[in-house]
Amino acid sequence: MQNRDRIKSAFESLLFVFGEPMDVRTAAAAVGIEKKEAQEIFRELARAYEERGSGIRIREIDGGFQFVTFEENYDYIRAITTPARERRLSQAALEVLAIIAYRQPVTKGEIDSIRGIKSDRVIEGLAAKELIEERGRSSAIGRPILYGTTGRFLAYFDLKDLGELPQLEDEELEEAIKSFGEYTAADEAAPAKTLAGQTELELL
Amino acid sequence: MDKIVYNSRFFMDKPCMRSFFGITILLKSVCDAANKDLHNALSNFNCLAIWYTIRMSYKIQLNIFEGPFDLLVYLIEKAEMSIYDIEISVITRQYLGHIRRLEESDVAVGSEFMVLAATLIEIKSQMLLPRITPAGETMEDPREGLSQKLAEYVRFKRAAAALETLREDAGHKLEKPQEDLQPFVGEPDIFLKMDMDRFIEAFRAFIYRRKKTEELQHMRRHIERERVSLETKIGAISELLRAAKNHVLKFGELLAKITDRYDKVVTFIALLDMAKSGQLIARQSQNFGEIEVENAEQG
Repeated sequence: MQNRDRIKSAFESLLFVFGEPMDVRTAAAAVGIEKKEAQEIFRELARAYEERGSGIRIREIDGGFQFVTFEENYDYIRAITTPARERRLSQAALEVLAIIAYRQPVTKGEIDSIRGIKSDRVIEGLAAKELIEERGRSSAIGRPILYGTTGRFLAYFDLKDLGELPQLEDEELEEAIKSFGEYTAADEAAPAKTLAGQTELELL
Repeated sequence: MDKIVYNSRFFMDKPCMRSFFGITILLKSVCDAANKDLHNALSNFNCLAIWYTIRMSYKIQLNIFEGPFDLLVYLIEKAEMSIYDIEISVITRQYLGHIRRLEESDVAVGSEFMVLAATLIEIKSQMLLPRITPAGETMEDPREGLSQKLAEYVRFKRAAAALETLREDAGHKLEKPQEDLQPFVGEPDIFLKMDMDRFIEAFRAFIYRRKKTEELQHMRRHIERERVSLETKIGAISELLRAAKNHVLKFGELLAKITDRYDKVVTFIALLDMAKSGQLIARQSQNFGEIEVENAEQG
Protein backbone atom coordinates (compact mmCIF):
# COMPACT_ATOMS: atom_id res chain seq x y z
CA MET A 1 0.00 0.00 0.00
CA GLN A 2 1.67 3.18 -1.16
CA ASN A 3 -0.71 6.07 -1.12
CA ARG A 4 -0.64 8.00 2.16
CA ASP A 5 -4.33 8.85 2.00
CA ARG A 6 -5.11 5.21 1.39
CA ILE A 7 -3.15 4.24 4.52
CA LYS A 8 -4.84 6.97 6.52
CA SER A 9 -8.20 5.59 5.45
CA ALA A 10 -7.11 2.08 6.42
CA PHE A 11 -5.99 3.28 9.86
CA GLU A 12 -9.34 4.95 10.39
CA SER A 13 -11.08 1.62 9.76
CA LEU A 14 -8.66 -0.15 12.06
CA LEU A 15 -9.38 2.29 14.87
CA PHE A 16 -13.11 1.83 14.36
CA VAL A 17 -12.94 -1.95 14.55
CA PHE A 18 -10.42 -2.09 17.36
CA GLY A 19 -12.11 0.19 19.87
CA GLU A 20 -9.32 -0.27 22.40
CA PRO A 21 -6.05 1.64 21.95
CA MET A 22 -4.46 0.36 18.75
CA ASP A 23 -0.74 -0.21 19.02
CA VAL A 24 1.12 1.77 16.35
CA ARG A 25 3.45 -1.15 15.65
CA THR A 26 0.52 -3.48 14.90
CA ALA A 27 -1.10 -0.97 12.58
CA ALA A 28 2.21 -0.28 10.81
CA ALA A 29 2.76 -3.99 10.24
CA ALA A 30 -0.77 -4.38 8.86
CA VAL A 31 -0.12 -1.94 6.04
CA GLY A 32 3.60 -2.64 5.73
CA ILE A 33 5.18 0.68 6.71
CA GLU A 34 7.62 1.85 9.36
CA LYS A 35 6.39 2.50 12.87
CA LYS A 36 7.52 6.11 12.81
CA GLU A 37 5.63 6.84 9.61
CA ALA A 38 2.54 5.13 10.97
CA GLN A 39 2.68 7.33 14.04
CA GLU A 40 2.86 10.45 11.88
CA ILE A 41 -0.14 9.30 9.86
CA PHE A 42 -2.12 8.59 13.02
CA ARG A 43 -1.33 12.06 14.32
CA GLU A 44 -2.36 13.62 11.00
CA LEU A 45 -5.61 11.70 11.18
CA ALA A 46 -6.16 12.89 14.76
CA ARG A 47 -5.55 16.48 13.71
CA ALA A 48 -8.01 16.13 10.83
CA TYR A 49 -10.72 15.06 13.27
CA GLU A 50 -9.98 18.02 15.49
CA GLU A 51 -9.93 20.55 12.66
CA ARG A 52 -13.23 19.25 11.39
CA GLY A 53 -14.74 19.76 14.86
CA SER A 54 -15.80 16.14 14.87
CA GLY A 55 -17.72 14.56 17.73
CA ILE A 56 -15.27 11.70 17.59
CA ARG A 57 -11.65 12.31 18.46
CA ILE A 58 -8.50 10.22 18.31
CA ARG A 59 -6.39 10.16 21.42
CA GLU A 60 -2.89 8.88 21.95
CA ILE A 61 -2.53 6.44 24.82
CA ASP A 62 0.51 4.42 25.78
CA GLY A 63 2.03 4.34 22.27
CA GLY A 64 -1.31 3.62 20.64
CA PHE A 65 -4.31 5.47 19.26
CA GLN A 66 -7.98 5.21 20.07
CA PHE A 67 -11.33 6.65 19.08
CA VAL A 68 -13.10 8.51 21.90
CA THR A 69 -16.05 10.86 22.01
CA PHE A 70 -15.40 14.60 22.15
CA GLU A 71 -15.37 15.52 25.82
CA GLU A 72 -17.54 18.60 25.38
CA ASN A 73 -20.38 16.41 24.14
CA TYR A 74 -20.49 14.51 27.41
CA ASP A 75 -23.59 16.30 28.67
CA TYR A 76 -25.56 15.31 25.57
CA ILE A 77 -24.48 11.70 25.92
CA ARG A 78 -25.63 11.80 29.51
CA ALA A 79 -29.00 13.21 28.43
CA ILE A 80 -29.83 10.03 26.52
CA THR A 81 -28.66 7.64 29.23
CA THR A 82 -30.32 6.76 32.48
CA PRO A 83 -28.46 8.71 35.11
CA ALA A 84 -26.25 5.85 36.15
CA ARG A 85 -23.40 7.12 38.25
CA GLU A 86 -19.94 5.88 37.74
CA ARG A 87 -18.48 3.88 40.55
CA ARG A 88 -15.72 6.11 41.76
CA LEU A 89 -12.48 5.04 43.25
CA SER A 90 -12.38 5.38 47.01
CA GLN A 91 -9.97 7.75 48.71
CA ALA A 92 -7.86 4.80 49.80
CA ALA A 93 -7.78 3.42 46.26
CA LEU A 94 -6.67 6.78 44.87
CA GLU A 95 -3.91 7.05 47.48
CA VAL A 96 -2.57 3.59 46.69
CA LEU A 97 -2.85 4.24 42.97
CA ALA A 98 -0.94 7.51 43.31
CA ILE A 99 1.86 5.79 45.23
CA ILE A 100 2.11 3.04 42.64
CA ALA A 101 1.99 5.50 39.74
CA TYR A 102 4.83 7.66 41.03
CA ARG A 103 6.97 5.00 42.68
CA GLN A 104 6.60 2.05 40.34
CA PRO A 105 7.72 -0.66 40.48
CA VAL A 106 6.86 -0.69 44.18
CA THR A 107 6.20 -3.38 46.79
CA LYS A 108 3.18 -3.63 49.08
CA GLY A 109 5.45 -3.00 52.06
CA GLU A 110 6.57 0.34 50.67
CA ILE A 111 2.95 1.34 49.97
CA ASP A 112 1.89 0.37 53.50
CA SER A 113 4.79 2.30 54.95
CA ILE A 114 3.87 5.52 53.12
CA ARG A 115 0.18 5.26 54.03
CA GLY A 116 0.76 4.01 57.57
CA ILE A 117 -1.90 1.37 57.08
CA LYS A 118 -2.31 -2.01 55.35
CA SER A 119 -3.35 -1.78 51.73
CA ASP A 120 -3.88 -5.43 50.77
CA ARG A 121 -7.54 -5.20 49.86
CA VAL A 122 -7.17 -1.94 48.03
CA ILE A 123 -4.38 -3.43 45.92
CA GLU A 124 -6.54 -6.45 45.12
CA GLY A 125 -9.37 -4.18 44.03
CA LEU A 126 -7.13 -2.09 41.80
CA ALA A 127 -5.67 -5.21 40.21
CA ALA A 128 -9.19 -6.53 39.56
CA LYS A 129 -10.00 -3.24 37.81
CA GLU A 130 -6.81 -3.76 35.75
CA LEU A 131 -5.45 -0.39 36.78
CA ILE A 132 -2.36 -2.01 38.28
CA GLU A 133 -0.48 -5.22 37.56
CA GLU A 134 2.30 -7.34 39.00
CA ARG A 135 5.75 -6.51 37.70
CA GLY A 136 7.82 -9.41 38.87
CA ARG A 137 9.44 -9.61 42.26
CA SER A 138 11.85 -7.46 44.21
CA SER A 139 15.23 -8.92 45.09
CA ALA A 140 14.66 -7.89 48.71
CA ILE A 141 14.12 -10.47 51.47
CA GLY A 142 10.98 -12.51 50.89
CA ARG A 143 10.99 -11.55 47.21
CA PRO A 144 7.89 -9.34 47.51
CA ILE A 145 5.73 -8.70 44.45
CA LEU A 146 6.33 -5.44 42.62
CA TYR A 147 3.39 -3.45 41.30
CA GLY A 148 3.10 -1.03 38.39
CA THR A 149 0.36 0.75 36.50
CA THR A 150 -1.21 -0.61 33.29
CA GLY A 151 -2.22 0.80 29.92
CA ARG A 152 -5.75 0.78 31.30
CA PHE A 153 -4.54 3.17 34.00
CA LEU A 154 -3.36 5.65 31.37
CA ALA A 155 -6.67 5.44 29.50
CA TYR A 156 -8.63 5.76 32.76
CA PHE A 157 -6.94 9.06 33.56
CA ASP A 158 -6.55 10.12 29.93
CA LEU A 159 -2.76 10.28 30.06
CA LYS A 160 -0.61 9.86 26.96
CA ASP A 161 2.13 8.32 29.04
CA LEU A 162 3.42 8.37 32.62
CA GLY A 163 5.36 11.57 31.88
CA GLU A 164 2.01 13.37 31.82
CA LEU A 165 1.35 12.66 35.50
CA PRO A 166 1.12 15.87 37.50
CA GLN A 167 4.25 16.83 39.45
CA LEU A 168 4.47 15.06 42.77
CA GLU A 169 6.42 17.76 44.51
CA ASP A 170 5.71 21.39 43.79
CA GLU A 171 6.77 24.49 45.67
CA GLU A 172 3.29 25.39 46.72
CA LEU A 173 2.80 22.03 48.39
CA GLU A 174 6.21 22.09 50.06
CA GLU A 175 5.36 25.51 51.47
CA ALA A 176 2.06 24.13 52.70
CA ILE A 177 3.80 21.27 54.47
CA LYS A 178 6.02 23.79 56.22
CA SER A 179 3.12 25.86 57.36
CA PHE A 180 -0.39 24.55 57.32
CA GLY A 181 -1.94 27.91 58.17
CA GLU A 182 -1.90 29.11 54.57
CA TYR A 183 -2.43 25.69 53.11
CA THR A 184 -5.77 25.17 54.81
CA ALA A 185 -7.17 28.31 53.24
CA ALA A 186 -6.05 27.29 49.78
CA ASP A 187 -7.33 23.77 50.26
CA GLU A 188 -10.83 24.81 51.27
CA ALA A 189 -12.01 24.97 47.67
CA ALA A 190 -11.08 21.40 46.84
CA PRO A 191 -13.75 19.52 48.87
CA ALA A 192 -16.64 21.05 46.90
CA LYS A 193 -15.15 19.50 43.83
CA THR A 194 -14.89 16.08 45.39
CA LEU A 195 -18.47 16.23 46.51
CA ALA A 196 -19.98 17.36 43.23
CA GLY A 197 -20.17 14.07 41.39
CA GLN A 198 -21.01 11.92 44.35
CA THR A 199 -24.33 10.71 45.51
CA GLU A 200 -25.44 12.84 48.39
CA LEU A 201 -27.83 11.55 50.93
CA GLU A 202 -30.49 13.72 52.42
CA LEU A 203 -30.29 13.31 56.14
CA LEU A 204 -33.54 13.56 57.96
CA MET B 1 -30.07 17.50 61.90
CA ASP B 2 -27.05 19.71 62.17
CA LYS B 3 -24.68 20.33 59.40
CA ILE B 4 -22.43 17.39 59.37
CA VAL B 5 -19.13 16.28 58.38
CA TYR B 6 -17.06 15.61 55.37
CA ASN B 7 -13.93 13.69 54.53
CA SER B 8 -15.41 10.61 55.99
CA ARG B 9 -16.89 8.05 53.79
CA PHE B 10 -20.00 6.15 54.28
CA PHE B 11 -20.20 3.05 52.22
CA MET B 12 -23.17 0.91 51.54
CA ASP B 13 -22.77 -2.42 50.00
CA LYS B 14 -25.57 -4.64 48.88
CA PRO B 15 -23.87 -7.89 48.09
CA CYS B 16 -26.72 -9.53 46.17
CA MET B 17 -26.82 -6.75 43.61
CA ARG B 18 -23.08 -6.31 43.70
CA SER B 19 -23.83 -2.66 43.77
CA PHE B 20 -21.86 -0.31 45.83
CA PHE B 21 -22.18 3.37 46.21
CA GLY B 22 -20.33 5.79 48.36
CA ILE B 23 -21.93 8.58 50.19
CA THR B 24 -19.86 11.36 51.51
CA ILE B 25 -21.07 12.64 54.75
CA LEU B 26 -19.91 15.79 56.33
CA LEU B 27 -18.32 14.44 59.47
CA LYS B 28 -15.35 16.73 59.74
CA SER B 29 -17.22 19.95 60.32
CA VAL B 30 -18.89 18.34 63.29
CA CYS B 31 -15.48 17.75 64.78
CA ASP B 32 -14.66 21.34 63.92
CA ALA B 33 -17.78 22.71 65.53
CA ALA B 34 -17.20 20.93 68.79
CA ASN B 35 -15.58 17.64 69.44
CA LYS B 36 -18.40 16.44 71.64
CA ASP B 37 -20.74 16.53 68.68
CA LEU B 38 -18.95 13.65 67.07
CA HIS B 39 -20.71 11.31 69.39
CA ASN B 40 -24.09 12.68 68.36
CA ALA B 41 -23.20 12.47 64.72
CA LEU B 42 -22.22 8.87 65.07
CA SER B 43 -25.43 7.94 66.80
CA ASN B 44 -27.30 9.59 63.96
CA PHE B 45 -25.37 7.42 61.57
CA ASN B 46 -26.38 4.42 63.58
CA CYS B 47 -30.07 5.31 63.13
CA LEU B 48 -29.48 5.66 59.45
CA ALA B 49 -27.63 2.40 59.35
CA ILE B 50 -30.46 0.62 61.09
CA TRP B 51 -32.99 2.20 58.75
CA TYR B 52 -31.07 0.92 55.76
CA THR B 53 -30.60 -2.45 57.34
CA ILE B 54 -34.33 -2.86 57.77
CA ARG B 55 -35.31 -1.43 54.44
CA MET B 56 -32.76 -2.94 52.14
CA SER B 57 -30.44 -5.15 54.16
CA TYR B 58 -27.45 -3.00 53.44
CA LYS B 59 -24.11 -3.67 54.98
CA ILE B 60 -22.69 -0.50 56.36
CA GLN B 61 -19.08 0.37 56.84
CA LEU B 62 -17.94 3.63 58.30
CA ASN B 63 -14.45 4.87 57.68
CA ILE B 64 -13.61 8.09 59.30
CA PHE B 65 -9.98 8.44 58.41
CA GLU B 66 -8.00 6.57 55.81
CA GLY B 67 -5.37 5.68 58.37
CA PRO B 68 -3.39 7.02 61.31
CA PHE B 69 -1.41 9.41 59.10
CA ASP B 70 -4.63 10.80 57.69
CA LEU B 71 -5.87 11.57 61.19
CA LEU B 72 -2.55 13.02 62.32
CA VAL B 73 -2.20 15.24 59.26
CA TYR B 74 -5.77 16.41 59.78
CA LEU B 75 -4.98 17.39 63.37
CA ILE B 76 -1.76 19.18 62.41
CA GLU B 77 -3.55 20.95 59.60
CA LYS B 78 -6.37 22.03 61.87
CA ALA B 79 -3.91 23.33 64.45
CA GLU B 80 -2.15 25.19 61.63
CA MET B 81 1.22 23.79 62.61
CA SER B 82 4.08 22.88 60.38
CA ILE B 83 4.74 19.24 59.64
CA TYR B 84 8.43 19.97 60.27
CA ASP B 85 7.72 21.59 63.62
CA ILE B 86 4.98 19.59 65.32
CA GLU B 87 4.06 20.55 68.86
CA ILE B 88 4.19 16.96 69.97
CA SER B 89 2.50 17.30 73.36
CA VAL B 90 -0.51 19.15 71.90
CA ILE B 91 -0.92 16.81 68.95
CA THR B 92 -0.41 13.66 71.02
CA ARG B 93 -3.14 14.75 73.41
CA GLN B 94 -5.55 15.48 70.55
CA TYR B 95 -4.67 12.24 68.77
CA LEU B 96 -5.24 10.09 71.84
CA GLY B 97 -8.45 12.00 72.60
CA HIS B 98 -9.71 11.27 69.12
CA ILE B 99 -9.01 7.57 69.41
CA ARG B 100 -10.67 7.44 72.81
CA ARG B 101 -13.81 9.09 71.45
CA LEU B 102 -13.91 6.69 68.54
CA GLU B 103 -13.66 3.78 70.93
CA GLU B 104 -16.43 5.21 73.11
CA SER B 105 -18.61 5.32 70.02
CA ASP B 106 -17.88 1.65 69.44
CA VAL B 107 -15.88 2.29 66.31
CA ALA B 108 -13.22 -0.37 65.97
CA VAL B 109 -9.86 1.36 65.98
CA GLY B 110 -7.24 -0.44 63.93
CA SER B 111 -3.95 -1.49 65.44
CA GLU B 112 -2.18 0.91 63.06
CA PHE B 113 -3.71 3.79 65.01
CA MET B 114 -2.27 2.36 68.21
CA VAL B 115 1.19 1.97 66.68
CA LEU B 116 1.24 5.65 65.80
CA ALA B 117 -0.07 6.53 69.27
CA ALA B 118 2.88 4.66 70.74
CA THR B 119 5.28 6.43 68.38
CA LEU B 120 3.87 9.81 69.39
CA ILE B 121 4.27 9.02 73.08
CA GLU B 122 7.81 7.81 72.50
CA ILE B 123 8.72 11.02 70.66
CA LYS B 124 7.06 13.06 73.37
CA SER B 125 9.20 11.40 76.04
CA GLN B 126 12.35 11.86 73.96
CA MET B 127 11.55 15.55 73.63
CA LEU B 128 11.84 15.86 77.41
CA LEU B 129 15.46 14.74 77.37
CA PRO B 130 18.29 17.12 76.55
CA ARG B 131 19.38 16.70 72.98
CA ILE B 132 23.04 17.41 73.47
CA THR B 133 25.52 14.59 73.83
CA PRO B 134 28.10 14.73 76.62
CA ALA B 135 30.57 15.68 73.90
CA GLY B 136 28.51 18.75 73.16
CA GLU B 137 27.07 17.65 69.79
CA THR B 138 23.42 18.24 69.01
CA MET B 139 21.41 15.07 68.43
CA GLU B 140 18.84 14.55 65.75
CA ASP B 141 15.38 15.95 66.44
CA PRO B 142 13.26 12.94 67.54
CA ARG B 143 10.40 14.26 65.35
CA GLU B 144 12.56 14.11 62.23
CA GLY B 145 11.53 10.62 61.06
CA LEU B 146 7.84 11.21 61.63
CA SER B 147 7.94 14.58 59.84
CA GLN B 148 9.54 13.00 56.79
CA LYS B 149 6.91 10.29 56.70
CA LEU B 150 4.03 12.71 57.09
CA ALA B 151 5.40 15.03 54.40
CA GLU B 152 5.64 12.05 52.07
CA TYR B 153 2.09 11.02 52.91
CA VAL B 154 0.78 14.54 52.26
CA ARG B 155 2.49 14.55 48.85
CA PHE B 156 0.72 11.35 47.85
CA LYS B 157 -2.56 12.49 49.33
CA ARG B 158 -2.32 15.54 47.12
CA ALA B 159 -1.38 13.35 44.14
CA ALA B 160 -4.46 11.21 44.84
CA ALA B 161 -6.63 14.32 44.72
CA ALA B 162 -4.96 15.30 41.43
CA LEU B 163 -5.75 11.86 40.01
CA GLU B 164 -9.36 12.25 41.04
CA THR B 165 -9.59 15.54 39.13
CA LEU B 166 -7.93 13.96 36.11
CA ARG B 167 -10.44 11.16 36.18
CA GLU B 168 -13.32 13.58 36.28
CA ASP B 169 -12.24 15.02 32.94
CA ALA B 170 -11.18 11.69 31.51
CA GLY B 171 -14.61 10.28 32.31
CA HIS B 172 -16.08 12.69 29.79
CA LYS B 173 -14.36 10.89 26.95
CA LEU B 174 -16.10 7.67 26.15
CA GLU B 175 -14.52 4.73 24.40
CA LYS B 176 -16.12 2.43 21.93
CA PRO B 177 -16.13 -1.30 22.61
CA GLN B 178 -14.26 -3.52 20.22
CA GLU B 179 -16.17 -4.88 17.23
CA ASP B 180 -17.01 -8.55 17.43
CA LEU B 181 -13.90 -10.11 15.95
CA GLN B 182 -14.83 -13.64 16.92
CA PRO B 183 -15.62 -14.82 13.35
CA PHE B 184 -12.10 -13.85 12.29
CA VAL B 185 -10.13 -15.62 14.96
CA GLY B 186 -9.58 -19.28 15.77
CA GLU B 187 -8.77 -22.24 13.60
CA PRO B 188 -9.93 -22.16 10.00
CA ASP B 189 -11.62 -25.29 8.64
CA ILE B 190 -9.28 -27.72 6.89
CA PHE B 191 -10.39 -29.18 3.58
CA LEU B 192 -8.82 -32.41 2.34
CA LYS B 193 -8.89 -33.34 -1.29
CA MET B 194 -10.14 -36.91 -1.48
CA ASP B 195 -12.05 -39.12 -3.90
CA MET B 196 -15.03 -41.18 -2.83
CA ASP B 197 -13.18 -44.54 -2.75
CA ARG B 198 -10.40 -43.29 -0.54
CA PHE B 199 -12.91 -41.67 1.74
CA ILE B 200 -14.88 -44.93 2.12
CA GLU B 201 -11.65 -46.77 2.76
CA ALA B 202 -10.59 -44.34 5.45
CA PHE B 203 -13.99 -44.52 7.08
CA ARG B 204 -13.90 -48.33 7.14
CA ALA B 205 -10.47 -48.28 8.70
CA PHE B 206 -11.76 -45.96 11.34
CA ILE B 207 -14.75 -48.21 12.11
CA TYR B 208 -12.47 -51.25 12.27
CA ARG B 209 -10.08 -49.60 14.73
CA ARG B 210 -12.97 -48.49 16.85
CA LYS B 211 -14.36 -52.01 16.99
CA LYS B 212 -10.97 -53.47 17.89
CA THR B 213 -10.44 -51.11 20.79
CA GLU B 214 -13.90 -51.86 22.10
CA GLU B 215 -13.16 -55.61 22.01
CA LEU B 216 -9.88 -55.08 23.80
CA GLN B 217 -11.51 -52.98 26.45
CA HIS B 218 -13.92 -55.85 27.12
CA MET B 219 -11.13 -58.33 27.60
CA ARG B 220 -8.99 -56.07 29.70
CA ARG B 221 -9.57 -56.12 33.38
CA HIS B 222 -8.73 -53.20 35.45
CA ILE B 223 -6.28 -53.95 38.19
CA GLU B 224 -5.14 -51.32 40.55
CA ARG B 225 -3.13 -51.71 43.65
CA GLU B 226 -4.97 -50.92 46.79
CA ARG B 227 -3.90 -47.57 48.04
CA VAL B 228 -2.54 -47.37 51.54
CA SER B 229 -4.25 -45.01 53.91
CA LEU B 230 -2.31 -42.74 56.20
CA GLU B 231 -3.65 -44.51 59.29
CA THR B 232 -2.54 -47.93 58.03
CA LYS B 233 0.86 -46.54 57.19
CA ILE B 234 1.28 -45.06 60.65
CA GLY B 235 0.36 -48.44 62.13
CA ALA B 236 2.85 -50.22 59.90
CA ILE B 237 5.65 -47.82 60.73
CA SER B 238 5.13 -48.07 64.48
CA GLU B 239 5.18 -51.86 64.15
CA LEU B 240 8.43 -51.70 62.18
CA LEU B 241 9.90 -49.39 64.82
CA ARG B 242 8.92 -51.71 67.62
CA ALA B 243 10.50 -54.65 65.83
CA ALA B 244 13.69 -52.75 64.98
CA LYS B 245 16.88 -52.90 66.99
CA ASN B 246 16.86 -50.19 69.70
CA HIS B 247 13.60 -49.02 68.13
CA VAL B 248 15.62 -46.97 65.65
CA LEU B 249 15.19 -47.00 61.88
CA LYS B 250 16.91 -45.12 59.11
CA PHE B 251 14.72 -42.99 56.89
CA GLY B 252 16.42 -44.44 53.83
CA GLU B 253 15.60 -47.98 54.95
CA LEU B 254 11.96 -47.12 55.29
CA LEU B 255 11.80 -45.89 51.72
CA ALA B 256 14.21 -48.37 50.16
CA LYS B 257 11.72 -51.07 49.37
CA ILE B 258 8.99 -48.75 48.16
CA THR B 259 8.79 -48.17 44.42
CA ASP B 260 5.38 -46.55 44.19
CA ARG B 261 5.56 -42.77 44.37
CA TYR B 262 2.22 -42.49 46.15
CA ASP B 263 3.41 -44.93 48.79
CA LYS B 264 6.59 -42.91 49.31
CA VAL B 265 4.61 -39.75 49.86
CA VAL B 266 2.26 -41.46 52.32
CA THR B 267 5.25 -42.84 54.24
CA PHE B 268 6.78 -39.39 54.47
CA ILE B 269 3.51 -37.78 55.59
CA ALA B 270 3.01 -40.58 58.11
CA LEU B 271 6.46 -39.85 59.59
CA LEU B 272 5.69 -36.13 59.79
CA ASP B 273 2.39 -36.87 61.43
CA MET B 274 3.95 -39.22 63.96
CA ALA B 275 6.66 -36.69 64.75
CA LYS B 276 4.01 -34.05 65.26
CA SER B 277 1.97 -36.20 67.60
CA GLY B 278 5.10 -37.19 69.49
CA GLN B 279 5.06 -40.86 68.56
CA LEU B 280 8.55 -40.69 67.19
CA ILE B 281 11.64 -38.54 67.28
CA ALA B 282 13.49 -37.71 64.07
CA ARG B 283 17.18 -36.92 64.18
CA GLN B 284 19.58 -35.70 61.56
CA SER B 285 23.19 -35.20 62.57
CA GLN B 286 24.21 -33.04 59.60
CA ASN B 287 22.74 -31.30 56.58
CA PHE B 288 21.59 -33.79 53.94
CA GLY B 289 22.69 -36.57 56.26
CA GLU B 290 20.73 -39.72 57.04
CA ILE B 291 17.61 -39.15 59.12
CA GLU B 292 17.06 -41.55 61.97
CA VAL B 293 13.68 -42.09 63.46
CA GLU B 294 13.22 -43.42 66.93
CA ASN B 295 10.15 -44.71 68.64
CA ALA B 296 9.36 -42.08 71.25
CA GLU B 297 6.84 -44.17 73.18
CA GLN B 298 9.38 -46.81 74.02
CA GLY B 299 12.31 -44.48 74.74
